[in-house]
Amino acid sequence: MEETIHNDPGNIPDPDAPVDIEGAFEDSQVQGVLDKLDRELVGLASVKTKIRETAALLLVDRVRREVGLASASPSLHMSFTGNPGTGKTTVAMRMAEILHRLGYVRKGHLVAVTRDDLVGQYIGHTAPKTKEVLKKAMGGVLFIDEAYYLYRQENERDYGSEAIEILLQVMENQREDLVVIFAGYADRMEEFFRSNPGMSSRIAHHLDFPDYSDGELMEIASLMLGEQQYRLSEEADRTFREYIARRRGRPNFANARSIRNALDRARLRQASRLFENRGSGLTKRDLATIEAEDFLASRVFENDGESS
Amino acid sequence: MKITQGTFSFLPELSDEQIKAQIEYALEEQGWAISVEYTDDPHPRNTYWEMWGMPMFDLEDPAGAFEEVKDCREANPSHYIKVNAFDSTRGWETVRLSFIVNRPEREPGFRVMRQEAQGRDIRYTIESYAASGSPEGERYGR
Amino acid sequence: MSETLKGKERYQAGVIPYKKMGYWEADYEPKATDIIALFRITPQPGVDPEEAAAVAGESSTATWTVVWTDRLTAADLYRAKAYRVDAVPGTEDQYFAYIAYDYDLFEEGSIDNLTASIIGNVFGFKALRLEDMYFPPAYLKTYQGPPTGMVAERERLDKYGRPLLGATTKPKLGLSGKNYGRVVYEALRGGLDFVKDDENINSQPFMKWRERYLYCMEAVNRASAATGEVKGHYLNVTAATMDQMIARAEFAKELGSVIVMIDLIIGYTAIQTMAKWCHDNDMILHLHRAGHGTYTRQKNHGISFRVISKWMRMAGVDHIHAGTVVGKLEGDPSMIAGYYDVLRESHLDKNLEHGIFFDMDWASLKKVMPVASGGIHAGQMHQLLHYLGEDTILQFGGGTIGHPDGIQAGAIANRVAVEAMVQARNEGRDCFHEGPEILNDAAKWCDPLRKALDLWKDITFNYESTDTADFVPTPTPGM
Repeated sequence: MEETIHNDPGNIPDPDAPVDIEGAFEDSQVQGVLDKLDRELVGLASVKTKIRETAALLLVDRVRREVGLASASPSLHMSFTGNPGTGKTTVAMRMAEILHRLGYVRKGHLVAVTRDDLVGQYIGHTAPKTKEVLKKAMGGVLFIDEAYYLYRQENERDYGSEAIEILLQVMENQREDLVVIFAGYADRMEEFFRSNPGMSSRIAHHLDFPDYSDGELMEIASLMLGEQQYRLSEEADRTFREYIARRRGRPNFANARSIRNALDRARLRQASRLFENRGSGLTKRDLATIEAEDFLASRVFENDGESS
Repeated sequence: MKITQGTFSFLPELSDEQIKAQIEYALEEQGWAISVEYTDDPHPRNTYWEMWGMPMFDLEDPAGAFEEVKDCREANPSHYIKVNAFDSTRGWETVRLSFIVNRPEREPGFRVMRQEAQGRDIRYTIESYAASGSPEGERYGR
Repeated sequence: MSETLKGKERYQAGVIPYKKMGYWEADYEPKATDIIALFRITPQPGVDPEEAAAVAGESSTATWTVVWTDRLTAADLYRAKAYRVDAVPGTEDQYFAYIAYDYDLFEEGSIDNLTASIIGNVFGFKALRLEDMYFPPAYLKTYQGPPTGMVAERERLDKYGRPLLGATTKPKLGLSGKNYGRVVYEALRGGLDFVKDDENINSQPFMKWRERYLYCMEAVNRASAATGEVKGHYLNVTAATMDQMIARAEFAKELGSVIVMIDLIIGYTAIQTMAKWCHDNDMILHLHRAGHGTYTRQKNHGISFRVISKWMRMAGVDHIHAGTVVGKLEGDPSMIAGYYDVLRESHLDKNLEHGIFFDMDWASLKKVMPVASGGIHAGQMHQLLHYLGEDTILQFGGGTIGHPDGIQAGAIANRVAVEAMVQARNEGRDCFHEGPEILNDAAKWCDPLRKALDLWKDITFNYESTDTADFVPTPTPGM
């Protein structure tokens, strides 16, 4: 006999039974993870909304299963697209935690890898390498950064395709053991998925990480400085805004990562400046203050108007 | 006969869930490494069973190790297969748990060979019925 | 404060109190190479506890009067120094006295030489107990230690993750070699790993030693073939002379035994000789602590068993009977935990509740397998695993051989009980409390276990322990 699919909610036994989503949400302690994410990451409103939605979907799915309503074991594999330094790894760690708290992975750890961790140099090396990484990631989340390097269109015999094949198999057959997140630049990821339709069809959640605005990057900078007990002088503040605007236009701009690097270099210059002036009655405030000149020495301000 | 090597040979054969629970104990509670080994020569002094791949270090979850058990079973359905948990801490540096997870359907076992020596001395040898005479891989049927 | 007399005064002929002779040095800081002994002293009423100095004196250089020949030596070095006296909690008249000895006082690698000093002359005192000792790595390194050790033993036997199971052949006396071997075969065939001679099974008229060895090894090999496991029987090689002991051990080796056994009463020289022989001949050495009760059980006089355990790990035995907690030979759980720590840990942390007074690194002397033997049965498996852990040998003599359906059934019951308990513990169950339920579940499919549980369910030996902790955890106020 053919089984019929009932769309009519009237066929659900005991439809008026109350369900406690609030209770389930509280028990899962997911709010704590979302709060942490808010504290850790400036801006990213669209990403945070998407994560909240995903968490809600997973929570409701779980409650549905608990009360006996049909719930397809959801595919949880994801792609995170965006430029470097936009918070993908941090969000992946929190995502692993959320999945763990909602009971979708057993341990909730994150194993972050790139092509080199998965693909071998010689014939026969790739499968054991990929499998070893997969085994370590079981029970948690496997985060593959710049995933498109796994696939080299120009070389059909590239060992990367072997890794992809094994990944696909595990993504399909061991969905309860492992969640995979693919990450990288949006355009290249798109191309990667186009060339590997099998991969694309197994990914249910896409998160796009936009570049930070100048204002957000300033906010990130003051967070980082605050943690290390530094501050910008008024002039330095203006100079650094200018720095951000210029830096964005130069090669290898990596959002928050570029900010961290710039601040690290400024601290270095501040230290040598203080050392040079060691005889001139410095104060505690001087030790904690970064001046405009600490930024101005940067190459970003050199060759004004010329290409670098 | 039933060969009773390993930590749990007097219990009913462990289910897959029970196997995973033991691996979980080794990983989560102890931080040991897991390895899978197989043989068709289960002589009590056959120390070196074949390694099914390398020992698995730094696992968080039993699922990966259990996949290896499944693969090994599929490739060697009539072999003895055991799961070992290895502890590398000082003063141990040895296996801490080792249990059989697969065995052939029929286990003919061993005979004692006695060689009468001087006086009433006897030199004992224990010989496997299955292993004597047939080469590796052909001892317990497929 | 130190009241030591110096120079001429110190060596004037006559009798000077030990305290003033340099055997009491309150400000002495033990050197990294010093050996330390901790004695419980009970001075006569009115006598100063600092008279512990007398113990230091008598266990090192002193004699009853001053001798000028001291001045031909670096006497300050050879003099043992009592440097600390603490009142024993909960007593009126007892003190713990710490005495430090320079390592030049002792011959390397000799328990005899050590004990001749430490306990040789001092036990004429009214009440004195050697509670614990500290040995520095420099001194420990002069000992061979266990010939095989727990790790290599398990590797040789290919048995991991659970307590090993043994039994002592019963009745102790009167079985012929052939009948004796039958008991061994049945117990090993049923599921035990080891069977054991009793301490007083040597070479008596009813069964001479060669007869026993031959039949026991037939049983061991038959059982090994029947189960596919490595099996063993502790062949007791205790005899009247060293030559006889070596001859017996050689015969055991010739027959392919993995283990031989000695009794504590053979003395330290004989124990160390056998330890060396076992090391050179790939043999596990089992020690039965026969006779220890004559000096370890009295709380205010004698030697604590934890000291004996330390000496035996240094002398070099692989197994030693160390108490059961729940069996007929009693033992306070925290004291026994202390003995087990001494035998099994690589590094000892000071733990007064367990009676361990010193941090001490074992300087890679191998681990000794503690043996729990006497009046234990399958129904106590959860308690045994809880108190003793998995690295121990549980000896069920009566608890195997006394099974109503025979020795094999008794062995099966014990093996199923231990495996079921370890499995449940590893799965995260609270064995100590759920133990009876775990055993009952296994008994549903294991009839021999069912019968064992039914038969011995009410048997426990609840003796008051004589040797208990002096230090108990203080309850948190308000609880």
